[in-house]
Amino acid sequence: MATGVQPLKTGADAPSHPSLTPYWLAAPVAAYIGLILLYPIGQGIYTSFTQTELLSGVPPRFVGLANYQRMFADVAFWRAVVTTIVYTVLVVTTVMGTALLTALLMNNRFRGRTLARGIITLPWAFPEVAAVLIWTWIFSQQFGVLNVFARWLLPIPENIGWLTDPNLAMFSLVFMTIWKLFPFYSLVLLTALQAVEQELYEAAKIDGAGPLASFRHITLPGISPTLGMMTLLITIWSFRRFTSIFLLTGGGPASATETLVIRVYNTAFRFYDLSYGATLGAAGLVLALVITLLYFWGQRRWNPEAL
Amino acid sequence: MNRTVLRHFRRLPLYATVLVVCGLVLFPIYWMLLTSIRPTKYTMTYPPAFWPEEVRWTAYLELFQTIPIGTWLRNTFLVSLGTTVVCLTLSILGAYALSSFRWRGRMLFGFALLGTQMLPEALLVIPIFIIFRQLGLIDTLQGLVSVDAAFVVPIGVWILKGFFDTIPTEVAEAALVDGCSRMGVLWRIVLPLSLPALVAVAVVAFFEGWNEYMFASTFITTNTLKVATVGLATFIGELATPVELVLGAATVFTIAPVIFYLIMQRYIISGLTGGAVKG
Repeated sequence: MATGVQPLKTGADAPSHPSLTPYWLAAPVAAYIGLILLYPIGQGIYTSFTQTELLSGVPPRFVGLANYQRMFADVAFWRAVVTTIVYTVLVVTTVMGTALLTALLMNNRFRGRTLARGIITLPWAFPEVAAVLIWTWIFSQQFGVLNVFARWLLPIPENIGWLTDPNLAMFSLVFMTIWKLFPFYSLVLLTALQAVEQELYEAAKIDGAGPLASFRHITLPGISPTLGMMTLLITIWSFRRFTSIFLLTGGGPASATETLVIRVYNTAFRFYDLSYGATLGAAGLVLALVITLLYFWGQRRWNPEAL
Repeated sequence: MNRTVLRHFRRLPLYATVLVVCGLVLFPIYWMLLTSIRPTKYTMTYPPAFWPEEVRWTAYLELFQTIPIGTWLRNTFLVSLGTTVVCLTLSILGAYALSSFRWRGRMLFGFALLGTQMLPEALLVIPIFIIFRQLGLIDTLQGLVSVDAAFVVPIGVWILKGFFDTIPTEVAEAALVDGCSRMGVLWRIVLPLSLPALVAVAVVAFFEGWNEYMFASTFITTNTLKVATVGLATFIGELATPVELVLGAATVFTIAPVIFYLIMQRYIISGLTGGAVKG
């Protein structure tokens, strides 16, 4: 055990008397996160059990589960849940798929690879607001360039309203999201691919394995911890994504892209229904929590050594 | 000679695919630049041409006169800088506590940090507003720094922890034996060895400050304190301001993070993945 490279934590600390140092180190972080994230989230959840007026100055009144009863009977809430799930599934599959394919592509050795990697990962550095400004123009029904491409490829008689047609808005939103998000995941997956031992591929080749077999039996197991972690992160980040959806479509047209987070915001700030907005937000939090727990449960089941 | 030609020929599909992917990724960026330098009349026609009919660089001068983008960018820069400093300081402490000590509550601390990634900002914005009003942080850039940093500190802690974990124990132990304190080990050994991860965290924090929209749009009311995301967002869907000025402003807003990214790319990649990938 004592030989070779060990993480700091295993060797350095086996003190007979517990040190207070880690607590001093962690305290500022815990206090900061506690004040700015955890305390407010507690407040928000408390608000969901009250009737709170934002403008009138009437003190909040405790109403128990009334807001939750209203939520379960609310069609708009269930539609937002479905929209959130559809959006998340679409984003996770298309972004991770694009990221994996491009990472595999960039894993080849070729001239100009560094340059190509720089170009492909550029959208990661793009501010979301700037991305929305560009894509709003590309999607524009009247003057947008996407219609030029679409009418080259498909037999369409007239320009399409990519953001105004309720059947297409989700597609357009996901399209922009792929462009903005895949670079980060591609970069991380590429590093994971490069960490897979080359000797394994050589050995498989000698054993007569084709490229698909080596992908399945060597590449995929090699990158699966990274792939799993990245899938979890993109899932919970997609659940709470706000800026790009809010600015591109505002949840419209006809609520076609209104995810739960957008609904929370609209309820609180457009309809000034503070307590009901908090209720929807709390429901979203529970949903994200359930997905995370499912992930860790699944990971433990299929890969008991991972944690 | 013949063989090298053949080898390159075989690689043609690879090069073609790389070119197509690069083209698809670059096109929206090209379109932004193109739209920002051609007069409105060429943008407001269908079908638009794929090259500039007429180049008008003066749009960039005009936009600095008509849009208060100088003020916006200054505010955005201050918020980003503050977020980076606060996030780095706190992340270093938290990551060191997680990485090189075993203590009761360690797991809880780690998972609580991870859990913050699930919190929806839309649920937080009102309670934070109420607290910040009591603290006098509403309508200040410090308030934005405080909230932006809180969202990236957990990510920073996890990136740094992953990197700290890869530093061999022997190095730290030798220093401890030589009479170095635990904080001395952090300062003289762990941090200098973790430069890529520190850069990665700094970039992630800087980008968060640069890009944050929701809190900035609800907390800031004074015009001179407006940040660029909020200012630029007012142009979405409005047609009163010429398109080339709007996309020119978007370009100006984008240049800093893109250059920052391109310079730091090498560090970012090894820093982001140095620890995380081995997971």
